[in-house]
Amino acid sequence: MKNTKVILACIIVGLFGILPLGLNVYQQHVMIVCLFYVMMSASWNLLAGYTGQVSFAHAAFAGIGAYTSGILAVKAGLSPWLGIPLGVLFAAVIGFGVGLLCLKMGGIYLSLTTLGVSEIFHIIINNEYEITRGTMGLQVPGLLVEYSKTGYFYIMLVTAIVSLLVIYWMIHSNIGLNFRAVQNDEKAAASLGVDVIRIRVLAFTVSSALAGLAGGVYGHYLLLITPEIPSLDQQFLVLSMTIIGGMGSFIGPIIGAFTLEILSEYIRGYGEYHVLVFGLIALSMARFAPNGVVGLVQAGWAKRSTS
Amino acid sequence: MFLLALTNGLVIGIIYALAALGVSLVVGIMNVVNFAHGEFYILAGYFSYHFANTLGMNYLAAMMLSVGLVLIFGMIIEVLLIRKTYGDDLYSLILTFILSIVLQNTYLLVFGPYPNKPPNWVKGATNVFGQFYYGNQRLAACGAGLVVIAIVYLMLKKTWFGRMLRATSQDREVAELNGVNTTALNMLSFGLGCALAAAAGVILSPIFPVTPTGGMAVALTAFVVVVLGGMGSFWGCVVGGLIIGLVENFGAAFISSGYRHVFGFIILIFVLLVRPAGLFGNREI
Repeated sequence: MKNTKVILACIIVGLFGILPLGLNVYQQHVMIVCLFYVMMSASWNLLAGYTGQVSFAHAAFAGIGAYTSGILAVKAGLSPWLGIPLGVLFAAVIGFGVGLLCLKMGGIYLSLTTLGVSEIFHIIINNEYEITRGTMGLQVPGLLVEYSKTGYFYIMLVTAIVSLLVIYWMIHSNIGLNFRAVQNDEKAAASLGVDVIRIRVLAFTVSSALAGLAGGVYGHYLLLITPEIPSLDQQFLVLSMTIIGGMGSFIGPIIGAFTLEILSEYIRGYGEYHVLVFGLIALSMARFAPNGVVGLVQAGWAKRSTS
Repeated sequence: MFLLALTNGLVIGIIYALAALGVSLVVGIMNVVNFAHGEFYILAGYFSYHFANTLGMNYLAAMMLSVGLVLIFGMIIEVLLIRKTYGDDLYSLILTFILSIVLQNTYLLVFGPYPNKPPNWVKGATNVFGQFYYGNQRLAACGAGLVVIAIVYLMLKKTWFGRMLRATSQDREVAELNGVNTTALNMLSFGLGCALAAAAGVILSPIFPVTPTGGMAVALTAFVVVVLGGMGSFWGCVVGGLIIGLVENFGAAFISSGYRHVFGFIILIFVLLVRPAGLFGNREI
């Protein structure tokens, strides 16, 4: 079973490796955006789906990664190849801080505090116009000397695979077991010797670092970092992709990100309705199938095997 | 400068308390944070604008009708979406978050992107303390806000319905055993929460014109006030609103006006570090 999974993953990665050959520039762009959302929803899922900390600051952490690296590149002339790791580090440090801050809080309080953190970040970007260029956006240098969609596709693919491997390793090791224990019942987990504080803060730090990574690479792909990256709208997209795919499952956010991003590109052809259509799908999924596509498929399988 | 910041702080504080009251009520009774609170506020603003300006109704009648319609809309939302989520507060938060984005985009399609402003009730400005002139519309809005807050207080503390609400908020099961139909009560109180958002919306839209995405800022302030005061506490809501109103306006006057809203968030985070349940957080409404 484990071997088939590994082989299947290798085949999928291999297919992705040769994918740019069959795509035009526009389709390559859509794939790059898909991979960005895969990273974002998978890392948000690590936090919300596995430890039950529904954070609204995830897009803000992507923004922290992007702006750190972007500002360093513009003001200090630092190469993005060094800037992005620094952005990841900074996002991890802030994530560690916010995780500590939210320790005493559970559920709704945590969500609302992260919402506050995200708003503070947004206000800072808009106010410190001279450094961040506000809503105009910060023009940043790219990762490649010569701009090439295919090159960026491979960079994004490698980053996404690394992120997914980290997440997969975390949820399938002892740490993942502890995550689930903390989500189900904090007190019971603590009584069985799980270090609840360490686990919660760890999840926050790793997930923020991964968001920072995704944001940094994406920002240097777009060559323009705007407050759109750390916005609540972005947070909404990440949340609905995770919900539609299946929160609390490894594969769910990946399915959700690809389906919704490709779908929204199709709808865009008919006008600016894609957010609305998105929202309606997410709303009905969340209402009628809270475990997402993955949950539906699993339920279907369970039914077939019993009948 | 000091007196102006003080007046602004008090007026805005009352307005914040009014906006937060609906959130607080719904949290206290149902343990549901309505993320789409601001969108109900905006909807009422649009309704009152179109009833008064497009259909030419009397502004008072337009306001009443708007609040009534939003009350019904809120009850429908409760039946369709919220009823399934009881007991899982994060589930309802996620659902109402998605709902808020859906409503924002619907308003954008239906009402267009431009700000809409219902007619003012009063004209001119009043001289306050012999120091500066203050817009009459703002003073009137503050007065209307106080009236609504007082009505809610009387309803909660003096009527039979209020007693049922308080009983359910304290202990749902015991309230059920004593014959409270909590399903119907949930529907009514969610509708009432939305109607309070609508009341804030119709009172404030002549001052702050409504836009499709304007609800998010309203909801954020309301959440800050509610968390600061303690979820579900009536007095917490009023005191929290005044504190945030004063802090933001003094901060804007004496430190930096661009960071006005950051001061509220910072106060909130500090209070939560010391008292995670908020200032008045003993869950009594």
